[in-house]
Amino acid sequence: MPVLKAPAGNTDAPSQYKQPSRKGKKAWRKNVDVTDVTKGLDELNTQIIQGGVIADKDSADLFVLDVEGDASITKKFPKIKKGLKSDEILAARSAVPAVSMRKRPAHDKTTDGVLPVKRQRKEYVSGKELSRLKKVADGQHNSMIDIVDAAFDPWAEEPQPEPEKAVELAFLPQKGKPKKPKTLEQLSISLSANGKPIPAIYVPKGGASYNPDFTEYRERLIEESEKAVEAEKKRLAELEAERIKLEAAARSAAEAEAAEARADLSEWEDDSAWEGFESAGEELSIKAKRPRRKTQAERNRIKRRKEEERRLKHEAAMKAKNAQAERIKQITLEVAEKERQLALEKAEFSDADEVGDDEKLRRKQFGRYRLPEKDLELVLPDELQDSLRLLKPEGNLLKDRYRSMLVRGKMEARRKIPFKRLAKTKITEKWTYKDFQLPA
Amino acid sequence: MAKIKKKGQSGQAKNYITRTQAVKKLQISLPDFRKLCIWKGIYPREPRSRKKVSKSATASTTFYYTKDIQYLQHEPLLQKFREQKVLEKKISRALGRGDVSDAARLERNAGRPDQTGKPRYTLHHVIRERYPTFIDAIRDLDDCLSMLFLFANLPSTTSVPAKMIARCERLCHEFQHYLITSHSLRKSFLSIKGIYYQANIQGEDVLWLVPYKFNQRVVGDIDFRIMGTFVEFYMTLLGFVNYRLYSSIGLKYPPKFDQTKDDKGAELAALTLEGVNLATNDETTKAIASGEGHGPDPKVQAGVDKLVKKLRTESDGDKADEEMAEGEDEEEKATDAIDKFEPAAPGGDVLPQPTYTGNDPSKLFANCTFFLSRETPRQSLEFILRAFGCKRIGWDPILGEGSFTTDESDPSITHQIVDRPIIQAATTEQGDGEDNQTAQKLGPNQRYPGRIYVQPQWVWDCVNDEELKGPELYAPGAALPPHLSPFVKPTQGQYDPTVPLEEQETEGEALDAEIEDAKDEAESEEEDSEVDNDMDVADDNDDDEEDSDAEEDEEEEDDEEEDEDEEEVLLRQRELEAEISGKTVKSKQVDPKLKAKLDKKKALERKKKEEAEDLERAKGMLSKKKRKLFEQMQYTNKKKSTEDMKLRSKRRKLEKEKAAGKA
Repeated sequence: MPVLKAPAGNTDAPSQYKQPSRKGKKAWRKNVDVTDVTKGLDELNTQIIQGGVIADKDSADLFVLDVEGDASITKKFPKIKKGLKSDEILAARSAVPAVSMRKRPAHDKTTDGVLPVKRQRKEYVSGKELSRLKKVADGQHNSMIDIVDAAFDPWAEEPQPEPEKAVELAFLPQKGKPKKPKTLEQLSISLSANGKPIPAIYVPKGGASYNPDFTEYRERLIEESEKAVEAEKKRLAELEAERIKLEAAARSAAEAEAAEARADLSEWEDDSAWEGFESAGEELSIKAKRPRRKTQAERNRIKRRKEEERRLKHEAAMKAKNAQAERIKQITLEVAEKERQLALEKAEFSDADEVGDDEKLRRKQFGRYRLPEKDLELVLPDELQDSLRLLKPEGNLLKDRYRSMLVRGKMEARRKIPFKRLAKTKITEKWTYKDFQLPA
Repeated sequence: MAKIKKKGQSGQAKNYITRTQAVKKLQISLPDFRKLCIWKGIYPREPRSRKKVSKSATASTTFYYTKDIQYLQHEPLLQKFREQKVLEKKISRALGRGDVSDAARLERNAGRPDQTGKPRYTLHHVIRERYPTFIDAIRDLDDCLSMLFLFANLPSTTSVPAKMIARCERLCHEFQHYLITSHSLRKSFLSIKGIYYQANIQGEDVLWLVPYKFNQRVVGDIDFRIMGTFVEFYMTLLGFVNYRLYSSIGLKYPPKFDQTKDDKGAELAALTLEGVNLATNDETTKAIASGEGHGPDPKVQAGVDKLVKKLRTESDGDKADEEMAEGEDEEEKATDAIDKFEPAAPGGDVLPQPTYTGNDPSKLFANCTFFLSRETPRQSLEFILRAFGCKRIGWDPILGEGSFTTDESDPSITHQIVDRPIIQAATTEQGDGEDNQTAQKLGPNQRYPGRIYVQPQWVWDCVNDEELKGPELYAPGAALPPHLSPFVKPTQGQYDPTVPLEEQETEGEALDAEIEDAKDEAESEEEDSEVDNDMDVADDNDDDEEDSDAEEDEEEEDDEEEDEDEEEVLLRQRELEAEISGKTVKSKQVDPKLKAKLDKKKALERKKKEEAEDLERAKGMLSKKKRKLFEQMQYTNKKKSTEDMKLRSKRRKLEKEKAAGKA
């Protein structure tokens, strides 16, 4: 077992090395050398332990004036035999009495018969309350405003209070009310595709009745089922696309693998080429071209060829240009047609309804998250009952209201985050073992 | 040279501010910012060009108007938010130190501002600011009411405290009481989502949706903090609206609320309305209770009395609804003093008609006593019946406190609303056998005599049509007529199943039908006169005419002369056929009546054509874009009208068949 030593080094409070003067800026406050103070305090402590502070004692207690000699003194004080240091330490007795270890002092066993009043723990806070407090500290408070019964009419004509002001302060400018900006009165931005404002509550159509008219119900059913079919088709198409993509990836991976395998197989051939073994038939015949001057005829030929090339190029460019010019006319016609079509469609939309559609939404929305889809609100034909008692209500009003707020542009879409992201913790070993030294 | 503008100092870059910037500027947390925006009506905006506003903005960045945010800095509520932030810091510091009791004390003290001398914060000033006039507030009541009625029906959870739900419920009941006393409920509709109500408050139509009871699934993907913020705002708003409405009809607000009654499920009956003056308190309450404070129109009252009497006698089952219709007709004649606004031109807009019919909606159920069986939706029925003048409504004790009577056998009951199926098997045996045990109760299919049994839909249909409908269609177990939406406004010329055919068909259609009829008659006469005549001739004629009709429908550009030519051709053909078959030509078989009608039709067509020509000429004046638009409009209209025409012709056929069956 290793013997533990006290931590090496100085146990004193950290201090400046030397503080001959405390006047300099460097010596302000920080790490004031207090060794002399602690030394003095320690000394005081030892004095108390040994029977009282010397400075406080009367000189009569400390000193005796010995006027005549004593023969027995040598017997009284035998020659000091130096014992062990440990014995000395153990034998030392403090003048200060020890602190009692009893819970109740000994003299408290008798009472005067009056029981002490049990103190109520007023400051006790239950666990539930504590968790609530923690939540409040985290910013989750229920309500900050008071909702009281209305006791006045905010729309009543209130008398304008005359601003009373001392005459001597009349020169001060009046502090007016902040002016309401005009932008505050603008309607919120509707998220419907046609840009029309969306009402808080849609006027219900006949098909939404619990006991609908047949034609209306059929219309609605067909409409909804077409929508569902479209959605399903889209989903299937997406699945198919995904599948094809995966297949293609797998195929290309397989091909790559095969190629690699082939490469592995033919490795030794290449190696042989690499290492310089070559069969005799593979000798290459290289015809080196001798450098020489071009003749005039050659120069002329080259010139002609270049001229011809340039001409052809120019002609092709002109042709393309003409073709494009032709095409422009066509394009303008097409564009005009398309625009007309768009205008008509738009006109039809705008003519059909003055309110926005909350199912066809615009592409650009507020916030990071997409708006939730509208629930399907339809009683299926086999569930259709003509009795109010048997009606199974469709749709979720809570969701409906929430979505309505979003669609009307009152706020940006949010998503519930069920778990807060916690701070990443990293576990490390503490280096406390450095506080000890193993003896050599 | 103009002064060079620095980038980012003017225009869009100055007008818009991102959400993060706004939050930093106001020095509040993001949730608090959201709350403040909802209360103050500050909505996200869309700059024309994101790049010009801020280069670092991504697609998901939200923008606000800088001026709005600047204005928010003057908001007194902001101080409260900051105080809250300070408190949060204090609490978290105390908790961090382990001084739990200190933290609790801090929190406790913040909760009672009256004792600590800190100001209370309410949304009162916000209401006035957002709705400068009362009418503005009423226009926004749709959303408010739907939200509060929804929250009044939610189960209480940690995110939706019970206190909030109770408050919503109370506010809603107060509002309902106003509607009942002022009789301003107009329409109601049972949909698959919930019950729609429409009321007319100071000339504004307010529409809201109330969920069915016990049906709210609380789903996870809803931010209740935000919904709660809206509800807090709307609660304050509805409180003020109620105050104003109550004081407008001389009632004290808030009405007296009886907690014990409410605990027993009295709902509406837990509130007692009081007059404003304490001295006249009793009188007004009495007046409200008896419903005589509003001075009923004696004439109307008499009419309603008569009607109800008739209805009662009808319940015995010997009267048909014809008589009722007659009675109504008389009444209408007697009280038909209101002008009708008719469009000046035949194609003009339908003008809004004054909605005063023979019966005052506030007295619709005044003389009825209802009893609701335990399977019916009591809350909605009670509200609707009361709003339409009913004073005495009893219900099964299981449906809660506050009924007029819980005794089903009460002789004063005139109508009972039931929604249970008729049990087919072994009813009579049991009814006889267990007489001694269940002497008080009636057997499953037995009825009290002298009262009308109807299904709940009867109430809604009566209310929407503003008349007491014949109860035989709504008897228990009967297949109910479809419940139509009262909010769908019939556009001009659209097929409406509730209106008789004569009122909605166009002139041309009516003429066509009459001509058809006349021809049929002529044919039948012909058949009578000449039994041995072969039918080919008549059939041929018919076919040809139909064809020509169809052509006319499709292309209105047929010329008149062509028409005449056609007729001549027909005549000639007929003559030829007659020659072949060896009979005399019956040129005079077209009787004068038919001829007159045909002439009329021709005149109509001519007129139509002239109109079309006029239109064509007018169209020439329009710009190209507008013309195309107009054409498109015409096309869709025509498509719709042909559909309607088909429906009408179908109905005409059905009616004719029915008539033939009767005859």
